[in-house]
Amino acid sequence: MDILTQLKKQAEQVEVLDLRNEKTSVEYEANQLKTCTVAETRGTAVRVIRKGRLGFAASTDSQALDKLSANALESAAYGDEAPFSFPAQQPAQSVQTYDPAVAELPIPRLVEIGREILDLILPVEAQARVNISLERSLVSADIRNHTGLEVSFQTSPLSIGVEIDLIQGDDVLILYDQLGTTVWDKDYKDFARRLVEKLKMARTVTTIQPGRMPVLFAPNGVLALALPLSVGLNGKEVYKGTSPMIGKAGEKLFDDKVTIVDDGTLDGKFASASYDDEGMPHRRNALVEGGVLKGFIYDLKTAAQSGTASTGNASRGLFNPPEPSFTNFLIQPGQTALKDILKGIDHGIVVEDLLGIGQGNIISGAFSNPLALAFKVEKGEIVGRVKDLSIAGNVYELLKDVGAVSRETQWVYNTFNAPYVLIPEMNVAGKS
Amino acid sequence: MRDRIQEALKHSKADYTEIRIEDKETTRVVFRGKELEAANANIDKGGIVRCLIKDKGWGVATFNDLDDLLTKVDQAYQCAQVGSVPEPIELASVEPVEQVMTVEMKRDFRDVSLAEKKALAERYNQVIRGHDGRIIDSQAAYMDSFTHLTLANSEGTYIEQEKPSVVVASFAVARDGDNVQSAHESLSSTQGYEYVLDKDELARKSAQKAVELLDAKPVKAGQYTVVADQMLAGVFIHEAFGHLSEADFVYENPKAREMMTMGRRFGKGLLNVYDDGSIPNLRGTTLYDDEGTPARRNWLIQDGVLVGRLHSRQTAAKMGEDASGNARAINYRFAPIVRMTNTAIDNGTTSFEEMIKDIQLGIYACDAYGGQTQLENFSFSSGYAYMIRDGKIAEMVKDVILAGNLFTTLENIDAIGNDFKWLNTGGGCGKGSQFPLPVGMGSPHIRIQNVVIGGE
Repeated sequence: MDILTQLKKQAEQVEVLDLRNEKTSVEYEANQLKTCTVAETRGTAVRVIRKGRLGFAASTDSQALDKLSANALESAAYGDEAPFSFPAQQPAQSVQTYDPAVAELPIPRLVEIGREILDLILPVEAQARVNISLERSLVSADIRNHTGLEVSFQTSPLSIGVEIDLIQGDDVLILYDQLGTTVWDKDYKDFARRLVEKLKMARTVTTIQPGRMPVLFAPNGVLALALPLSVGLNGKEVYKGTSPMIGKAGEKLFDDKVTIVDDGTLDGKFASASYDDEGMPHRRNALVEGGVLKGFIYDLKTAAQSGTASTGNASRGLFNPPEPSFTNFLIQPGQTALKDILKGIDHGIVVEDLLGIGQGNIISGAFSNPLALAFKVEKGEIVGRVKDLSIAGNVYELLKDVGAVSRETQWVYNTFNAPYVLIPEMNVAGKS
Repeated sequence: MRDRIQEALKHSKADYTEIRIEDKETTRVVFRGKELEAANANIDKGGIVRCLIKDKGWGVATFNDLDDLLTKVDQAYQCAQVGSVPEPIELASVEPVEQVMTVEMKRDFRDVSLAEKKALAERYNQVIRGHDGRIIDSQAAYMDSFTHLTLANSEGTYIEQEKPSVVVASFAVARDGDNVQSAHESLSSTQGYEYVLDKDELARKSAQKAVELLDAKPVKAGQYTVVADQMLAGVFIHEAFGHLSEADFVYENPKAREMMTMGRRFGKGLLNVYDDGSIPNLRGTTLYDDEGTPARRNWLIQDGVLVGRLHSRQTAAKMGEDASGNARAINYRFAPIVRMTNTAIDNGTTSFEEMIKDIQLGIYACDAYGGQTQLENFSFSSGYAYMIRDGKIAEMVKDVILAGNLFTTLENIDAIGNDFKWLNTGGGCGKGSQFPLPVGMGSPHIRIQNVVIGGE
C-alpha cells in the first residue's frame, strides 16, 4: 500500500517526499580526464503529526518502507507539539528549471566542454594545473500530503567548477570559479574567460603599505559581507533570539545603496523552483530595501512559531526535516559603472577572494580573514596582485557607509548574485 | 549478498573492480532552545562500483537499488571507457584479505529506546539553559550510527566491518545587548552508549565559556608567543600540515612535490607527527581502509624532518611507495580519496608551567572554531583564549584568529608538552565534497613563537 495512504490511517497529518537524482559527472584532475561517475539515488522522507506531535524519518531502502513508517510514528511519539499544519495546494508561478538540453547532455559532450575550457586556460599559462568538475543531474522531487497536495518538480542542474593552481617557487596562486544553471547557457564559457583574465592580472605581483584605505569587494569577495547577513536574516535565528537584527524590521540598518532580495522564482537558477520543499510557492522576498530592514525568511514551522506566514523558504535534504534557507540570494546592483568606481580609487585594493569565509563568530557580523586573492589599485588602475594581507571588521558597521555599488553583478557559488561593493575606508593589515 | 557481489566482480571486464555496500542506521535527537528539534531514525542503504581500465581511467556507479549489481558493473565499466589518461594508472599491491569483523559494544545503543536518548539530550540541554540567565540559545544533540560495510574487489579481497559511532554535542549562545557569544563542546565514542552518559560537565562547560566570552575583550592584533591547547594544536596539525601529507595533493604536481620533499626540515628536532588508523577505538580508526588496505602507523615528521605521507593505492604506485591505509570515503555515494585517520603531534617533555613561565606577553589559545588552509597558508579561529602576562594566565580574550605560513609556524614551535591526549570530539573533516569524515586528532600543548594574530 502507498505509504501516504497507510500513514493517514495512523496520524492526523502526513507528508511524503520522494526524491530521485540521476547524476552524471566528469572530472579532470591536473589537466587530465580521470574519473567519470553515474549516480542513481532515491529516497523517501516522511513527516507525520500524530496526537498533535511532529515526527520525521527517512530512508533510501525501498524494501524497508514499513520500518520507515514505524520510525516516523515513533519519532512523533516523542516529538514536540507541531505548531503548524501541512498546507493545501496553492497556485504558484511557473519557473523554468528543467531543460532537456541539460538533462540529456551526453558524457562525451561533458568531456568536450572540459577540453574547451582547458584550451582557454593552458595556452595562456602552460604551467597551470587545472581541475574541472562537470556535473549534470536530473532531480525529481515529489511532495504529497494528507490534504491532497501534490507538488512535483524536475530540475536539471548543470554545474561546472574550475580550479586553477599555479605554484611558482614560493608563490602559490589558486583561482576558482563555477557556473551553475538549470537551463542550457550558450555563454557557458564566459566564467572561464573571466578566470583567465584574473589569471593574467595576477601575474604581476606588487606590494602595498598596509593601513586604512578604500576596499572594493568583487562579487566573490562580497560573500564575506553577505554570509553573516544571510544568517541574521534567517527567521530561525530571529526566533531563537540570536540574530542581531531581531526586532529591527522597519529600521534603517544599512547605507541607502544596500538592497537584498531572496528570489526562488528566477528562471534557470540553481535554487529556483515553483515551490519550496514543503510545497509552498516560491516568491520574491525583499529583505533589505534602500538600507531598511523589511523582513526575514521562514518555513512553515519557524513562521508558526514567530506568528507569521511562511515565505516559501523551506529547504531540505533527504535525511533532515525542512529548515528556512535562502533560495537565490541577491544583492541588488547599484548606479555606478565598475570602471567609474575603480577610477575613483586613488590608492586601495580589490578583494576577490578571502580565506576562511564563515569561520569565527559569524552571527555577530564580525569577520577576520586573510586575503586569498587581492589586487592593488593605484590612480584608478589595477596594477598587480598583492599578497599576505588580511582584513577584519563587522559587516553591521561597514555596511552603514558604502561608497558605491556597481551596476554590474555576477553569479557566484551558483546561488549568490552580487555587485562590486566599495567600502570607503577600512583597515588592511599585513607586513609593512 | 556475498555470492551476488562475487558474481558481479567476475562479470566485470575491467582491469580492477571494487564493490562496496553500506547499510547504515542512524538516530538523532536534537534540542534547540526550549524545543525538541529532532528525534528520529534514518536508514541509508546503497552501494558503489568502481572500475579501472588502466590506460583509460576510473568509472564509478553509485546506487540505492542493490538488486542488479551486474548492470551497475557495466555502467561503471562504460564510464571508465570515457577516460584518456596519458600514462596507465597502476595500483600499489596490497595482499588480498578475507575477513568478517563484528564489534561488541558494552551497551549497544541500538538497544536503547528513543525515549531514553531523548531524555539524555534533554538533560544536557537543561544544563546549558539553566547555567545563566544570559544564555539565550542552546543546542544539545545526541547522535548514533551503526554501519555495516562490505568491501570486495576483483583481487580476492572480501571484508565485512561494523562501525558504531555515538556522539553528544552541546552548543551555547550567550547574549548581552548586541554582544552575542557562543561556545561548543562534543564527545564521541566507537564503543557503546555508556560513554555518553553523565556528561553534564560537557554541557556546562559550553555554557560557561559562552557566558565568560561576553566579558572578554577582543584581542589586540599583533605578533605573539602562542601556547595552543591540545585541541587547537590537534586541529592545527590536521588542517595545516596533515592535508599537505595527503599524496593526492602532490602526486601529480611537481612543484608541490618539491615543497613536500622527503628529508626536508619542517620543524625543530622536537617535532614528531604521525597518522595511525590502527589504534583501537579512536574516532578515525579504520582497520581496513575503503580499498582494503590495513591500517598502520605512518610517521610523517620525525625529529623535525619530513619522513612520510599518506596514500591510496593509486598515489602510492605513482610515487613508488607503499599503500598506507588512507583511502577513505564518507559513504557509498563517493569513491575513496586520500584522507587522514587519527593524526597527532607526539608527546614531548615540557610541562605546561615551564612552557608559559618565561612568556612576558603571549596568548594561551584554546579550542578551534573553524579554519581554512590554502596550501601553506592557514587561518584558524580559536574558540576562546587568555592573555599570558609575566608567565601567568591572565584575562580571557576573544576573536583570536591565527593566520600564517605553515613552514614558518612549524619551525617556530619551540616547546612540546608532556600532556598528550586524544581528542574524541564528534566533528568530522571535509575534503572536496566529502564531509564529514570521522577523524581523530591528538596533541600535547605546544608553544609557537611569533604568531600573527589578526583583528582590527
